[in-house]
Amino acid sequence: MKRRQFLSFCSGCLFAGLANAQEWSAPPRLARPDVASDEGGLWALMDREEARLRRSPFALRDPHLQRYVQDIACRLATEHCADLRVHLVRTPFFNATMAPNGMMQVWTGLLLRVDNEAQLAAVIGHEIGHYLQRHQLDRLRDVKKRSAFGQFLGMFGLVGMAGQVGLLAGMFAYGREHESEADRIGSLLMRRAGYDAAEAANIWENLQLELKARGDGEQNSPLFATHPPAEERQAALRRLAEAAPGGITNASAWQKRIAPYLREWLGDEVKRGQHEESIALLTRKIGSYPANAEYLHARAEAYRLRAKGEDLQTALADYQVAASLGGEPAETHRGMGLVFRAIGDSAAARTHFQRYLEKAPDAPDAPMIRSYL
Amino acid sequence: MKVLVIALALLAGCASVAKLEGERTVGERMTITLDGAWNQVNAPGVGPADLWTLEGVPVDRLLIYAGVKDGQPVHTQTGGTQKHITFSSRMQPEQIVAMFEGMFTRDGSRFRLTRLEPSSFAGNGFRFEYALTRSADDLQLAGVGYAAVSNGELFALLYQAPRIEFFPRHRARVEAMARTVKLKD
Repeated sequence: MKRRQFLSFCSGCLFAGLANAQEWSAPPRLARPDVASDEGGLWALMDREEARLRRSPFALRDPHLQRYVQDIACRLATEHCADLRVHLVRTPFFNATMAPNGMMQVWTGLLLRVDNEAQLAAVIGHEIGHYLQRHQLDRLRDVKKRSAFGQFLGMFGLVGMAGQVGLLAGMFAYGREHESEADRIGSLLMRRAGYDAAEAANIWENLQLELKARGDGEQNSPLFATHPPAEERQAALRRLAEAAPGGITNASAWQKRIAPYLREWLGDEVKRGQHEESIALLTRKIGSYPANAEYLHARAEAYRLRAKGEDLQTALADYQVAASLGGEPAETHRGMGLVFRAIGDSAAARTHFQRYLEKAPDAPDAPMIRSYL
Repeated sequence: MKVLVIALALLAGCASVAKLEGERTVGERMTITLDGAWNQVNAPGVGPADLWTLEGVPVDRLLIYAGVKDGQPVHTQTGGTQKHITFSSRMQPEQIVAMFEGMFTRDGSRFRLTRLEPSSFAGNGFRFEYALTRSADDLQLAGVGYAAVSNGELFALLYQAPRIEFFPRHRARVEAMARTVKLKD
């Protein structure tokens, strides 16, 4: 089937699904399955992983932020709330997962990327859709046939599996039909909870900026061979939202919630060394928050580390704006010093290295920076 | 994950381990004098660095880069659809450390630089220390690295082991070996 025909076919499925979604109602609370069944075995495995996750150094232990995200999940899941347990995990990939036993993981790479509470609700609602429809069980039975159990476990974001298939893998974990169905249910749950469902489509628009920035586009990603392409999912979600417009986004509340973590999460993002994706993400964020020194500093770091073409000049411009705004990290001056040193302006480099050492005398790289003075 | 793959390769018999002692030449330009005996691991998924270990790959690893050229990746193809992280001969020490940071965090592990300082490694290099939380098993590792760029090529030693017991036990041997590294022109 040619690509255009295929997309047209899929769009038809989604419109058909729209009617179904309006009629869809959540199943009763899921009972713990018989331990002797395949589903019972999967629950037991996930129970052990959840116990491990609670002890993991990757767990983000902030009861206020956890409660905030748990409350969003509960507004979406309604009577299933009692069965859901949200775990925040510090890892810089875009992902949220839901295991059949009710363990939900929300990774900090997702929290960094969403612009408001409604976008987070869209991703969580999508995962709840998988959970309520018990897609995991279908997938388990499918992978057992194909001896791909390791790949299956990766779907639940088990800590050791992080990053195995890239930044956006979590959004492509299931097959086409299951992903589309979870999108429809997620959109419905958002509307019922009072959120603006259009934000679900905005997520995809934002993610495409990062995908396209990689330079190899969708064509080279194995994810797109078997899953609805990002543009297709975005268009379908947009149509679902248009059927019932309106709702809240809670953008300012969201920004306030994540502000204490922004520097840490941006640092994790830049450390990935995937500079094209990071620059695309940060350029979008700077477009929304041009007076936020944290985003400007992070983008400057990504440009400085990539150091291609005019990157050093662009980095310097970002560092300078961040410094002019005030409240910039000490590392902004280290970055400026390194750029000035690289372009041969030793006097300016010295000034900024001294400023860095004044602000962070015990920094791990202070001995190296002192050697440059 | 890479550690697991190598361990499985060893179990499956498609990997080999060789005992190393004395002065060794690594690559075309680098010589190093070993402190005691080391195990060199050859397995699928290893490279472009030489992989040596004292206790076994799941426990400790010494990565030796002996002449990575401009534009070459510093790791094998892991990390799914993520772009390769490559060396550039124009990199400054901070960029080289960031490059290794990106390499170590491809699987979701967490890297934290704890020291960066000049060093006489290979003539005019630098030394760094780091903490790594390994995503595969949540293990807390400590690491020390030495690196230098010579004639546009990267030379580096990176050693990491569990922060408790193994890293303190072997650190001095690795540091002594780093001081013996010589590069041919």
